[in-house]
Amino acid sequence: MSVSNRSWAILAVIAVLFTLPWWSGDLYKVHLAALICTYWVLISGLNLVVGYSGQLSIGHVGLLAIGAYCFAILAGTYGLHPAVAIAASGTLCALCGLVLGLPSLRLPGFYFAMATLAFALIVTEITLAQGNLTGGGVGLSVPGFPPPFDSPRGSYWLILAIAAVVTWLTWNVARHTWGRGLVAVRDSVVTAQAVGVPVFRAKLTVFVFSGFTAGLAGALFAVLQSYITPDTFVFDLGLFFFVCIIIGGRGHMLGPAIGTIVLTALPEMVAPLAKLGNFFYGLLLLVVVLLVPEGIGHVFQVLIERFRSARGERHGVKPDLERLSKAIQGGRAIK
Amino acid sequence: MSLTARDVTKRFGGLTALSRVSLEIMPGEVHGLIGPNGSGKTTLLNLLSGYYRPDAGTIHMVQQDITGASVQQRARLGVARTFQKPRLLPTLSVLDNAMIGGWLDARAGFLATAFMLPQAGMDERELRRRAEELLHGVGLSHAIGRRANLLEHAEQRFLEIARGLAQRPRFILLDEPAGGLTPAEIDYLGGVIRVMAESGVGVLLVEHHTDFVFRVSDRVTTLDVGAVIKHGTPEQVKRDPDVIRVYLGA
Repeated sequence: MSVSNRSWAILAVIAVLFTLPWWSGDLYKVHLAALICTYWVLISGLNLVVGYSGQLSIGHVGLLAIGAYCFAILAGTYGLHPAVAIAASGTLCALCGLVLGLPSLRLPGFYFAMATLAFALIVTEITLAQGNLTGGGVGLSVPGFPPPFDSPRGSYWLILAIAAVVTWLTWNVARHTWGRGLVAVRDSVVTAQAVGVPVFRAKLTVFVFSGFTAGLAGALFAVLQSYITPDTFVFDLGLFFFVCIIIGGRGHMLGPAIGTIVLTALPEMVAPLAKLGNFFYGLLLLVVVLLVPEGIGHVFQVLIERFRSARGERHGVKPDLERLSKAIQGGRAIK
Repeated sequence: MSLTARDVTKRFGGLTALSRVSLEIMPGEVHGLIGPNGSGKTTLLNLLSGYYRPDAGTIHMVQQDITGASVQQRARLGVARTFQKPRLLPTLSVLDNAMIGGWLDARAGFLATAFMLPQAGMDERELRRRAEELLHGVGLSHAIGRRANLLEHAEQRFLEIARGLAQRPRFILLDEPAGGLTPAEIDYLGGVIRVMAESGVGVLLVEHHTDFVFRVSDRVTTLDVGAVIKHGTPEQVKRDPDVIRVYLGA
C-alpha cells in the first residue's frame, strides 16, 4: 500500500469512527464502541509488551483495576477534576508497572506470565480487603466525565480521542528503531545484544508504558461501568486482553485491533454467542492457533506479499564492491 | 589500536576449551582463525564479543581492558559480529534487519520516538540511508523490502554482514561466513571481506574452509584442542608441519 493510499485509509477510518454516534442507530452501540476503544487503549500498550517484545503478561487486568479504583477514589471520594484523576490513574499504573516489572521481567517467559497472574490475583484481594478505601465487596460508584463529555456520545468522543492518541504513540514506537529493538528482544536475544539493545531496560520501558495505558483505560472503563466492584475485574478479562493480541497476531497493530473489535462486539451483537461466554473465546482461540498460529495480522501480510510477488522474485547475491566501500567509509566518516 | 585477547583460558565444567590463547586483530587486516572442529574457534569469538567471560586472561580493545564489558558495551565500542547460523529477525524486512544494526546511533529515546519528535525522524532517515547503501553494496538491492524469512541462505549471510556493518564497527567477527555457500558466492564473500579490511575495519574470519582463509587473510592463527599451534602469514602457516599434521591431515 502506498503512502497516500494508507493516509486515505486512515482518514476514512477516523471519519467512520467519529460519525459513529449518528449512524449506529442506538445508544447501546455507542456504549459498546466506547468500551472497545477503552479496551484498545489498554491492548495497544499491552501489544508492545506481548506482541513486540514477546513478554507474556496475562495480568494487565490488575493494572486496569488499579487505574479504575484510582479514578473512582480521586474523582468520586475526593472530588478531584476527572482530567487530573485520569492522569493520576495512568501515572500510578506506570509506577505499578515499574514495581512489578523490575523483579519479574528478568524471569523467563512462563514464570513471567505466572508473576503477572499472581499480581492480578493480589490486586483483587487488596481491593476486597481495603474496604474503607475501595468499598470492599460493595464497591464504589464512579462519577462521569464533566460537560461536554457527560452524555453517552460525549464520552464516546472523549474516549475515541484518547484511543487515537494512544494508537499514534504505539504506532510510532512500533514502526521505528524501538519497534525493531523490541522484535529483536522477542525473536533473538543474542542479536539484540550484538547490536547493543539493552534487553532488560527495553522490556521494562515498554512494560511501564503499557502500565500507563492500562491506567488510562482503567479510568475510562470505570466511567463506562459507572459502578465498580472487585467482581468487575475478573481474571477472565486479563486473559481476554491477551487473547485479543494472540488472535490478532504478534508484531502487528491491525490484527490485535481487529481482534479487540471482534471479541468485544460479537458476543454482544449475537445473542447466542453471549450465552457461550468464555466458551466462545476458547473456541475462537483454538481455531486461530490451529489454522493460523501467527494470527489474523499475518494473513493480511501474506496476502499483500502474494499480491506484490506476482511480479516475480529474484534471488542471489552480487555485491557491488565499489558501492560497499563507499558505504562503509561514508558511515565511518560521520562517527 | 587492536582488539586483543591475552592468555585467555575458558573452561566448561571439567573441559578446558581454551588454554592461554593470545590473538591480536589489527584495524584494516583480515585475521583468519582456523582449526579442527572443537578446537575452540567459536569459543574465542564469543570471548572477544562478550558472550562468555574468560576464566583467566584479559581482552583489550585499543589499550582499554574490556574483559568484564557486556556484549552491548562492546558493541558501543565498535565490535560487531555475525553468527554461525544466521540470526535474523524473520518477521521483519531485509531493510529493517539491516537498520537494527544502527540501534546505538539512534539518539531519540522511547518518549521522543512515541511523540515522533524531530530527532526520531532524523535517526530514521539516517539509519535508512546507511542501511540501503550497505544493502546495495553487499548485493541485496533486489530484496530490500522482502521479509527476512523468505531469503535464501547466502542472502541471509550477506544480510548479517550488512547488519554488522550498519553498526559502523571497528572490528567485525565473522563466525563461519562461508558455511553453506557455493564457490561463486564464496568468491563474492571474499571480495566483501577484502573491502571491509581496505576500509579500515579489522576482520576476524573464523572458518574451517582453509583454502578460502589462506586466500583472503593477511595473518592466520591456528588452534588445536584449545591452544595456538601456529601464527603467521598464510604462507608460513600453510607450510608449518604441525598445522599440516593436526589440521590439513596430509
